This record gives sequence, structure tokens and C-alpha cells, in this order.
Amino acid sequence: MECPGSRTVLFEEKENANEATGSIKSELRQWPIQLHLISPAAPYYQGADVVLTADCVAYALGGYHQNYLKGKSVAIACPKLDEDQEVYIEKIRSWFDDAKINTLTVMIMQVPCCGGLLRLAQEAMKKSERKVPVKSIVVGLQGEILNEQWI
Amino acid sequence: MEQYLNTGIKELISKFPAAGDVLNRFNIGCVPCNVGTCLLKDIVNIHDLTAEQEQELFWSLGKIFTPGKPVILPEIKRKEKPAGNSPSFSPPVKMLMDEHVLIKRLIALIPEMVTRLDIGKEADKKDVLDSVDFIRNYADRFHHAKEEDILFKYFDENMDILKVMHEDHTSGRNHVKKALEALDAGDGKTVTDHLSAYALLLSGHIKKEDEVLYPWMERNLTTREIGEMYGKFGNVDREFAGSQEKYEALINALEKKYN
Repeated sequence: MECPGSRTVLFEEKENANEATGSIKSELRQWPIQLHLISPAAPYYQGADVVLTADCVAYALGGYHQNYLKGKSVAIACPKLDEDQEVYIEKIRSWFDDAKINTLTVMIMQVPCCGGLLRLAQEAMKKSERKVPVKSIVVGLQGEILNEQWI
Repeated sequence: MEQYLNTGIKELISKFPAAGDVLNRFNIGCVPCNVGTCLLKDIVNIHDLTAEQEQELFWSLGKIFTPGKPVILPEIKRKEKPAGNSPSFSPPVKMLMDEHVLIKRLIALIPEMVTRLDIGKEADKKDVLDSVDFIRNYADRFHHAKEEDILFKYFDENMDILKVMHEDHTSGRNHVKKALEALDAGDGKTVTDHLSAYALLLSGHIKKEDEVLYPWMERNLTTREIGEMYGKFGNVDREFAGSQEKYEALINALEKKYN
């Protein structure tokens, strides 16, 4: 059976497509963003609300910048393709313990392989001494929010 | 209908008693509330009814308020809920709800404790004193302080619903004070009356918070505020380190005796 994470799907063009009335401003306020490239000690993570986003989410979710990235610091990762994911666990743990982040929101796609990113965050939570509210948000292939819960 | 939206619920129920039955039908428990200053529009907003339920409620109330006249359904503006399933309770709100569980365990013991109370027996007096210690130090200083000093501060404290919550806390404190005075005076009946009144008050209060107030607050708190609140609650837990274990042990012991 074909992996749901890489199965080919074509979505129909939606009739009520967004009508842009001008350029939409980016809500990104940092660089870098890839989890291997960022340092948890970077100033933009100190005391921040962090959104750890699976790579595909921002493409699927139309309102990602306005509704989820705005006011937050970010890191992106792919739990299926990225290597050395032990490093990810240590970086997330360091967000909790050293950067003293305020909250962590983990945004993943509905495909099964994406759950790995949430498991990395949960592993880091277990290893951290400081506890922080962590929320998971699961996004459908066409950008719908399928599940949103505090863990 | 508009004028009724901006009227206190107690006033509406006393003027139109049938409105109380309609509210009950929608699980809006304003009828026994001893304050009742909340405006109808705020009550409807806070109860998170579906659009269909809200329309049915207004329709039913409109027929009572203005019989024989067409009902113009008002629109209550609500914060948009996230798509998908309802979010679970955030860690700080969950902490408060977990603390309610221990408080409810004591409340459940009060009827049997006061039934068996012999004011001349030191052991019975000690159980009342231990219960008062729990109420004052765990339910009030530890738990209600988190609500009054932290959670409620994220909202407009002039809101009627918060005034009602503060008033419940104050009434609870008065019942406990009077129960203790009566215990010192050897007046068993007054101890019983005030502890029973406390139990009744707090069980209704906790129900309102768990089922209505907290879910509404949860929907209106930002992620930033939830993280901040969790940190502040952690500070209170550190300040009262050992309280949870101490009072759980007390409730366990009282349950063995009175259950």
C-alpha cells in the first residue's frame, strides 16, 4: 500500500479562491528557521511562544502567517526526511530549559510520518526540567485544522 | 428583544418566571444564583451555545417577554472557535480543575461529618478543624488565590460573572469563619448549618467554573497568556510546596472515616 505521506493527490481548484487586494506581509521575524540551523540560544527564542512547524504545513495552511506565525518564533523540520534527529530533541529541550520559552505549538500534517515531530517534542519534554504548555495542531492536506489540543 | 439582552438575569426571571424554565432547558443554571446581575447577552455569550441553540433560546424567551408579538432574533457576537475538534483544556486551566477534584472530595464528606458531629468529642472537633484548615489553606489561599490573583486578572473584573465568582469566594469565607466561631462556642447546630451552606455554595460554584466559566475563559485566552499563567501558577505551587500531598493525605484519612 502506498505511503499516505507521498501518495499523489490533485486537489480541485476552489471556487472561492482568495482574492488578493495587495501584497500580504510576512509575519516572519527571524532567520534562520530550519531546526538544524537555528540556535536555541538565539535571542528570538528567549521567553518566546515558539511554533515548531513541519515543513509542509505552511504550504497547506492558507492563513499560516496571520493565524499561527504572527507574534511567535519559529523552527521548521521534516521528521520523515531530516537526519540526526537526536540533535532536534536536544534543541527542543534547550528551548524549554535554557531559552525558557513560554509555550510550544507543534504543527504537523495529517500524514502518519508527520507524527514523528510531535514525538520528538514529547521526548524533549520528558528530558527537560522545566515544564511548558505544549499544543499540537494537525493540518489536513487542504489546509483544514483537523485537531488542536494541549498535550 | 434588544432591551432584554441588557437586563440582569435575576430581574428577568422575577418578572418572567417562565424564563427560568427556558434557561434550565438549555442547562443555563441562573435560577438558583443568589446574585443574578449578569446581563442576558453575557450569559448567552458565555455558555457557548450553537447558533441553532442560541436562536431557539431567544425564540423561546421572546415568546415569554413579548407574547403575541413577532420575535426579532438578535445576533450575539462570539469569538470564532478553531475549526476541527474543540481544544482540550490548557495545562494551567487543567491544574485548577484538578484542584477542584480534591475540594469536591471534601465537600462530599461534609454531610456525613456534620450528621455525626458531637461537639463534645475532641475527635469530631478535630475533623472540623482539619476541614476548616483545608478550606482556608488549600481551597482558599492556594486555589482561590490562583483564580483571584492570576486567572481573573486576564479579564475585565467588572464583568458580572467575575463579580459573582468573587462574591461566592467571600460568602464561602464567611461561612467558614462563622462555623469556626460556633465551634469555639460549642454550638454544634450553627457549625452544621454553616459547613452545610459552604458545601452547597462551593459545589454550585465549582460546577459553574468547570462547565461554563473556564471553557469560556479558555476560548478567550491567547497562547501567550496561557504560557504566562502556567509560569505564575508554578510560582504559587513552589510557594505552597507540599500542600498538595499534605491535603490529599488529609482527605484520604477523612474519607476512610466518613465513607
